[in-house]
Amino acid sequence: MFSSFSSAFLRTALIGALATGLSACELVEYSPNDHRAPADQKDLTAKNLARLAAAPLPPGDTLRFVFSGDSQRFYDDAQDLVKSVNQQPGIQFMLVSGDISDFGLGREMRWVDNELRQLKVPYLTVIGNHDHVANGRDAYQEIFGPLNYSFVFGDTKFVLIDTNSREYNFNGRVPDVPWLQGQLADLGGARRSVVISHVPPQDGDFDPTLRDAYAGTLRETPSLVFEMNGHRHDYGVTQPFNDGVTYVNSYAFEKRRYILVTVWGDKQFRLKQINF
Amino acid sequence: MVPTLLLAALLATPAAAATPATSSPTGSDSAAVSVAAPPVLGLLRPAPQRAAVYRPRHLLLQTGGGVGMLSVGGGLSFAHRHLDFDGLLGYVPARHAGTALTIASLKLKYAPWELPLGGSGLALTPLAVGVYGSYTFGVRNVGEDGQYPDDYYWWSRTMRVGPVLGSSLSYALPDAASGRARRLTAYYELATNDLYAISYYQNRRALSLRDIATLALGLKLEF
Repeated sequence: MFSSFSSAFLRTALIGALATGLSACELVEYSPNDHRAPADQKDLTAKNLARLAAAPLPPGDTLRFVFSGDSQRFYDDAQDLVKSVNQQPGIQFMLVSGDISDFGLGREMRWVDNELRQLKVPYLTVIGNHDHVANGRDAYQEIFGPLNYSFVFGDTKFVLIDTNSREYNFNGRVPDVPWLQGQLADLGGARRSVVISHVPPQDGDFDPTLRDAYAGTLRETPSLVFEMNGHRHDYGVTQPFNDGVTYVNSYAFEKRRYILVTVWGDKQFRLKQINF
Repeated sequence: MVPTLLLAALLATPAAAATPATSSPTGSDSAAVSVAAPPVLGLLRPAPQRAAVYRPRHLLLQTGGGVGMLSVGGGLSFAHRHLDFDGLLGYVPARHAGTALTIASLKLKYAPWELPLGGSGLALTPLAVGVYGSYTFGVRNVGEDGQYPDDYYWWSRTMRVGPVLGSSLSYALPDAASGRARRLTAYYELATNDLYAISYYQNRRALSLRDIATLALGLKLEF
C-alpha cells in the first residue's frame, strides 16, 4: 500500500518536475537575439507548404487566398484577424507580406505564429525589413525558412523574394534578380505566376540600381497576374511604372482590414476588402 | 503560475528597486580609526573607507536572463548586503543567435529580507527586485553610417533595460582567513526587457506575462 502510494507520488513528482524544468528551459533566454525555438516553431515555411500540398487545388479550380502584411507589434489585432479569416469559406491559404516582427526578435516571430497557427488554413510569409533588424535575418531563417523561395499551387506559381535592400545597405545583390528571372522562366507546370515581396520596387528602401531590372523582369513575364507587397501598411492597387504590371499593397494588421484575393482563368482576379 | 505571479508583482512595483532602505556605515569602525590615528592622518580617513566599500564582495556565474548563455561577473554590496551592484560579461555562441554575441550588463538588486532556516547554515532570501541594463557586441545588423535615414528605427538594437525579480538560497561556508563571512548562494531571476514590455503593454489580450518573461539561474560566491 505504502509502496504503491510512494511510487505514484514519486511518478507525479517526477513528471511535475520534468514539466516545470522543460517550461523553465524555454524561459532561460540567452539574449533577445537568441533564436532557439521549440521544434514545432522551426521551419514553419516548410511545414505550412506541406499542409498546403496535402490539400491540392485541382487544375482549373478558382484560387482564393487571404492577403495581409506587417503583423509587427499587433498581436491583439492578429487574434481578431484569425477569427475573421477562419469564417471565410473556400479560402486555401493566407499570405503575410513581411514585417512579421517589429524588432527582429525570434520571440516576436513565435508570438505571431502563436496566433496564425490557429488559422484553419496554412499561412506563408516573406521577410520584411523589420525582420532583418539586429539578428532577425537569422531568426527568420530558423523559425520560418528561406529568404527567397517559391511554390506551385494549382495553376499558379508563387515566387517570394527578399526586396529589403536597405537592410543590406544597398549592396547591389538584394533583390536577387537573376534568381527571380530563373524562377519566372520555369513555372513548373503552372500557367500563371504571382510575385510577393515586402518592399515595393518604387519605394526608397528598394535598391535603385536594381529597380529597372526588377520591374523589367516582371514586365517581360506574360504569366504574371500581379506583384504583391507590404511595407506601406495600406491597401493600394497601382501600376507605378505605367507598364501594365499591377502592384497590390496589403493592409497592416493594425488597419484591421485584409484582402480576399480570387484568381481564375488566365489572369483574371478580384480583390475584396474585408473589415474585422 | 508562480513565475507569472512573481513577474506581475515585479511589474506592479518597479519603484521598489529604486528605494533601498537607508543604512549607515558602522559607527564603531570610524570611532576606532579616529582614536587610533593621529590627527594629521585623520584627514586620510575617508580613503580606506571608500576602498573598502568599492571592493568586490562576490563573484557570479549565471545562465540566461537575456544576458548570456554563460555569464561571469562580480559585484559590490551595500546596506548590509541588502543591495547588490553587479557587473556581468556574457557569451552566446553563433549557433543560438546567428552571430556570436558578447553581452555586458549591469544590475542593481535589492533584497529587503533574509530568513535564516534553523541552524542549518541555510538562509532564504524570498524576494529581490532590481533593474538591469545590457549592451550587446557582435549583433549582425546594427546599421552602418548612412544606411538608414535618421530615426528609421526608434529603438536601440544593442542596449536593453528591464526589471528583474527573484529569490535565492544561501549556504554559509567556513569564514575566510580575514574573518569575513563566506557564503554560496543559488539564485533565480525572472526578467523582461524594454521591447518585450512594450509589446505586452500594447497587447494584453494576446500576450501574457509568461510570454515576455525570461529566467536566469545563477550562483553567487560571497567572500
